[in-house]
Amino acid sequence: MLIYIVKRLAQLVPVLFGITLACFLLLRALPGDPATLLLGARGGPEEIALMKQRLGLDLPLWRQYLLFLADIGSGSLGRSVVHARPVMQLVLERLPATLWLVAYSTVLAVAMTVPLALWSAMRRGGPVDLAIKLAFTIVIAMPSFWLGLIFVILFAIWLPLFPTSGYGDDLLSRLHHTTLPALVIALATASLTIRSLRSAILAVLGSDYVTTARAKGAGTGRLMGVHVLPNALISSISVLGAHTSWVIGGTVVIETVFALPGLGSLFVESIFSRDYPLIQGLTIVFAVLVVLINLATDLAYALADPRIRLE
Amino acid sequence: MTKLRSMISAGALALAIGAPALVTAPSAAFAKGILRLAQTQDLVSLDPIATSDNASIYAQLLIFDTLLRPSKDATKLEPGLAESWKVSDDGMTYSFKLREAKFSDGTPVTAADVAFSLKRAGSDASSWKRFFSGIETIDTPDDRTVVLKLKKVFTPLLNNLALFSSAILPQKAFEAAGDKFFDKPIGSGPFTVAAWNKGQGLSLKKNANYWQAGKPDLDGAELMVIPEGNSRVLKLQAGEVDAAIDIPLNQLQALGRDGKIKTAVANVFRTDFVLMNTKKKPFDDLRVRQALNYAVDKEGLLKALLYGTGKVSNSPMPPMAYADPDLKPHAHDIAKAKALLAEAGYKDGFKTSLLVDSGRPLHRQLGQALQAALKQIGVTADIRLVEGGTHWTTTKSGDYEMAVAYATSDTIDPDQLVGFLLVNPERANAYHTEWKSDRVNELYEKERVTADGPERGKMFQEIIKLAHDGAPSVFLFYPGTSYAYRNNVEGFEVLPTSNFRLEDVKLK
Repeated sequence: MLIYIVKRLAQLVPVLFGITLACFLLLRALPGDPATLLLGARGGPEEIALMKQRLGLDLPLWRQYLLFLADIGSGSLGRSVVHARPVMQLVLERLPATLWLVAYSTVLAVAMTVPLALWSAMRRGGPVDLAIKLAFTIVIAMPSFWLGLIFVILFAIWLPLFPTSGYGDDLLSRLHHTTLPALVIALATASLTIRSLRSAILAVLGSDYVTTARAKGAGTGRLMGVHVLPNALISSISVLGAHTSWVIGGTVVIETVFALPGLGSLFVESIFSRDYPLIQGLTIVFAVLVVLINLATDLAYALADPRIRLE
Repeated sequence: MTKLRSMISAGALALAIGAPALVTAPSAAFAKGILRLAQTQDLVSLDPIATSDNASIYAQLLIFDTLLRPSKDATKLEPGLAESWKVSDDGMTYSFKLREAKFSDGTPVTAADVAFSLKRAGSDASSWKRFFSGIETIDTPDDRTVVLKLKKVFTPLLNNLALFSSAILPQKAFEAAGDKFFDKPIGSGPFTVAAWNKGQGLSLKKNANYWQAGKPDLDGAELMVIPEGNSRVLKLQAGEVDAAIDIPLNQLQALGRDGKIKTAVANVFRTDFVLMNTKKKPFDDLRVRQALNYAVDKEGLLKALLYGTGKVSNSPMPPMAYADPDLKPHAHDIAKAKALLAEAGYKDGFKTSLLVDSGRPLHRQLGQALQAALKQIGVTADIRLVEGGTHWTTTKSGDYEMAVAYATSDTIDPDQLVGFLLVNPERANAYHTEWKSDRVNELYEKERVTADGPERGKMFQEIIKLAHDGAPSVFLFYPGTSYAYRNNVEGFEVLPTSNFRLEDVKLK
């Protein structure tokens, strides 16, 4: 197991190398450069040249790339053009909110998925199954900002249970502040995982060993908990893993609606200002996180199903 | 970012309008003396010479002082750290007498601090170097006196000294703290930094050493980052903030209806227009450019896009000092537009393209409205929707025909905008329209060496009249900045310079 983890982490190196190169070159192909955009209306040719020189943008591309690699090596990930601070520092300020949102929403999603999928599968075709199906089809059809605003109006204005937005200072207030955004993300995730878990459960329910277990007199709880769920979870874990990777960088809308200081909005802003070092640094951070989540997903397979050996 | 915001705004309109009636009372959990203000963005840096976004500028103006500052109505300069100043008759020497003021750490503001700060602002490290390049020497004959000698007469200098980039920093504290100084800067302004939670907001506390007796009334202020317009409105309604800037215009009226919230639109120095590339046909022909100005129903645009706020523009310049009240905007006159086009040889109109920044919701709507308006005189405009950085780079390189754009002024003097919008050759060659008027260039040179007064005012009026007639762009409107505050807030306003002065705000 440990060897497997080390091996997977070692695979990160070529992946990251490819990402740095692709990201570096794509950025340079975009129209506009940070010096020109930063100076905007104030930038005469003289000022722009001076700024480019200060930012090292006047160097040949290969040297800029090597400097970028050196910045990664040093751990600072370079210096943001707009913020004039090390990229790593900016990432560390924003990372906690993103990780918190990922963790909180994943927990909520799992907490919704397992019971609802079980319930739905056991009452297949019945009103409960249909109601769950309908409810989550509506959820998946709603843009997340819309759902977010509806939640704010319902649970922060009409029924003032939660604050309308913000991040909170300590653990309790953070839970309080981020429940609505985490719920919005969790509902989007759950609408996928419930479907996949429900159909997996149904497939397993039809298999011979379940019939055998039933014949041996296993109660519903034991049947579902011991025989059905572990075998049905695999496909949902991969859906959950893929969705969680998305949450890392894809929650800009949620961050915007709920004013959360996450990485997503920082990333979008950095692209608009062509903040090369910041875009490059964030891309690497996202890549590492996605690889780690994939790794965690694979490990979760092994935990859920002892037949899977990781080598 | 703005792209998303606009999607969000569009989608949530109905919701937000339904909400006001159901608002609960504000919670009393917060200290009474702290104003919570929702802004759209987090600031980037508190260093006044770093390239600055609006949020940074507004915060810097609360923390630091300048020698002089624009009056609240932005019509003249008033004393800041300098209690008086004198310009020599030849316009080459400026002397400033400093008032007795202290920085927030209790040390006095001295002439040496002023000299140090202004030298820094004019150094290569400064993004605003061009504003200070006219200063030859800075002398400090005594602790309370600063004397600037210029290389040549440069009238806009006083205005540049009232700019945030001319903020006065404490030299000793700055040198002791090094790079860390701007994490918790020390200034002589009404407020000082308590904490800066990046991405969430800036907490300010009252500067007990502030030189204006009895001010600020507030114990402090929270400048909170709430990027989404609807979220700002909801927070205001829920009483989680006391004031908010940039209210979605479609909600402005409904918001004021319940009587708990006051709304306003400030006339700020901003002007929106459509650039025309005069290097390209048919925009090299004055008659075509004028025709387009007559073809657009600008009043209609105000009603449809700005919900009746804002003003129609008569030139590319916003109404600021020396503006000529008698200069009328081009009337909406389709017949005249058609006649002008026919005279220029485009009786059947022509095909062209319109560059629009996709990140500006207002301009996206504007693009479509303009497309429809131009159709009426036979001009077919293809909308080229590009993201902001590409928009700027494309207009700069001259690879466009028409482009929706806007400009704002950092100072209250028209010199800065005239230089950017109308002078060619200059840093932007008349904002990339390549429009050229020798008379404008000549007046610009003269205006900069003429002492402030009616004579200089006449020069600006002539420049603006020439721009009105020469039509380098289709002049559209001056949109305002919307804001709102709860009834317990007194004295909060957005100034024509777009910033706000919190030292005059009271909470009831």
